[in-house]
Amino acid sequence: MDSQVVIQARDESLAHLRKVHGDDAETLIADARYGFISGLMRDVLERPAVEKVTATDRIDRFMLNRWLGIPLFLAILFAVFQLTFVVSVPLINLINAGFDWLGEPTSRIAPAWLGSLITDGVFGGVGAVLAFIPVIFLLYVALSILEDTGYMARAAFVVDRLMHKIGLHGRSFVSLILGFGCNVPAIMSSRTIDNPRDRLVTILVTPLMSCGARLPVYALFAAAFFTAYQGLIVFSMYGIGVILAIGLAWFFRKRLISGESGHFVMELPPYRLPTVTGVLAHVWDRVWAFISRAGTIIFSVVVLIWLLNYLNILEQIGRAVAPVFSPAGFGQWQAAVALIFGVLAKETIVGAFGTLFAAAGDTGSLGQVIGSALGWTPLVAFAFMVMILLYVPCVATISTIKRETGSWKWTLFTIGYTLALGWTVATLVYRVGRLFI
Amino acid sequence: MTRKSITMALAGNPNSGKTTVFNNLTGARQHVGNWPGVTVAKKEGSCTFQGHHVKVVDLPGVYSLTAYSQDEVIARDYVVDARPDVVVDVVDASNLERNLYLAVQLLEMKAGLVIALNMMDVARSRGYVIDVTELSRLLGTPVVPMVAARNQGTKELLETVVGVAGGEIPVGGINLQYGQDIEAEIAKLEKLVDGNFPAGQYPPRWLAVKLLEEDEEIVRKIRQAGVG
Repeated sequence: MDSQVVIQARDESLAHLRKVHGDDAETLIADARYGFISGLMRDVLERPAVEKVTATDRIDRFMLNRWLGIPLFLAILFAVFQLTFVVSVPLINLINAGFDWLGEPTSRIAPAWLGSLITDGVFGGVGAVLAFIPVIFLLYVALSILEDTGYMARAAFVVDRLMHKIGLHGRSFVSLILGFGCNVPAIMSSRTIDNPRDRLVTILVTPLMSCGARLPVYALFAAAFFTAYQGLIVFSMYGIGVILAIGLAWFFRKRLISGESGHFVMELPPYRLPTVTGVLAHVWDRVWAFISRAGTIIFSVVVLIWLLNYLNILEQIGRAVAPVFSPAGFGQWQAAVALIFGVLAKETIVGAFGTLFAAAGDTGSLGQVIGSALGWTPLVAFAFMVMILLYVPCVATISTIKRETGSWKWTLFTIGYTLALGWTVATLVYRVGRLFI
Repeated sequence: MTRKSITMALAGNPNSGKTTVFNNLTGARQHVGNWPGVTVAKKEGSCTFQGHHVKVVDLPGVYSLTAYSQDEVIARDYVVDARPDVVVDVVDASNLERNLYLAVQLLEMKAGLVIALNMMDVARSRGYVIDVTELSRLLGTPVVPMVAARNQGTKELLETVVGVAGGEIPVGGINLQYGQDIEAEIAKLEKLVDGNFPAGQYPPRWLAVKLLEEDEEIVRKIRQAGVG
């Protein structure tokens, strides 16, 4: 049977129906289904005479308010970060003290290289990363509660209104919010965006969203350089990421990938009380991912760094690259090493510093040690954090971009533009900041 | 009733509580894989009920079964190609009208459908009274009221699933009437596709409707079948 006969018959039918009804058959068929359902409703559903104004409606009057919506979103996020850091700092110190205590006897292990590998590499490097479990745990408890109550859908809704005005697809922001967890699933979730151009733009800017792996780096420097304002500083990292993502999405859509944007009706589920098991399940996913990465990829990379350092090769690598970052204030070889290995996984940046400075035998909190050893001011630390936020996505994200776009061109483009953006913004922060400080 | 192994697919809109139902059914016995050829996560789990082994496949949460998104294509391909013994559609009772859009399409596909009418508590608190028996009668398919968040109705759902799989509980399919003009065209196309495209096991009427909906995925499948 020739399929062409069927297709042709279908085209004739469609043309005929369009002539008779002036509408697509697709619309007519959907109408018939809705008609059937609304008839069914009349028979099986009894609604109250006056629809109750639900609690959801009352809450949404504020949350989705044209003027209050975005400030409320920002205020809620800010409160989340503030709370996370206030509560987690003593816990982090406790874990760090634990690793120091563990590393004290192991440093005397013979032969010396093994003692150094265990003390500096494993406890210094991997331990420095694991110390941030409390931050990861608390932040994702808060974010899961926001997600499970239905608030995150509202956040997407208010931002969507803004994005629509500048010609962007609202579904994008739903994907971007997922990027707070990890960029990889966020990029994969862009599949729910039907319009291929909207989807591509979303993929390109998702790496600008601060993921869980970048959080320990922020936490490390925020604690050492901005003691009183940790929550605010980390919040600003997330904020800069979101603003640049939206701004660049707009720019790419205008200049590189123009064309009609798709339509999308945002689903607003009713507010629900989150269940303890539901929240803990989400949090456990993230915390477990963090721990298992620390035990696998982070561990391997830290051992590699330790080895290169032990063989005195690391410093040469760092020194070769470091001058590139001098304009942004962090032109030291240690920072260059951290940035290079950070591409493998962003937590490695903490691990790399941990290994390097544990080997140097300094004491005090890692952040303070870095600060005094490299002569960093809070401004340099901030510029460095901006660099971590923006520069080249990690390998896992890069390979996901390749798989989802199916194009090396766009993958290399993402690597290139994020590197240029990170360097430029970090340099600007440092240079402009110096004018005032 | 003989003991057997039952495969059920779990469909439903996003936010209908589908995941909660899945967790209630399978507990810790779940694993995550990928749908063939794509990187959308495929969750599977299983449970034992009255001596039957029930395999539960969680379909992507969708509102509809068009070809516009990958999730929708995955969901409907699974229903047609893998032929699960039972398809359970988790429906949010507090949002009945919109949620039934998916149920109606599953019924049109003649998937052995059981409706899990979830969030009955939310519907009740809004003052909605749903005549479950009448809903089941009009759709011609079993409807099980549930409050998955409190694990209520899980046992009843499994009883129904086992009953449907064993042939003791009848399930329906509906043939919607789309109006006389469309019906005339459906009849023509149905005759053309009937028996001619065995590669896809789609019911011919459903194929005809999808053709008129200008469903590109179906057109592609028909082209493929036509070549061979």
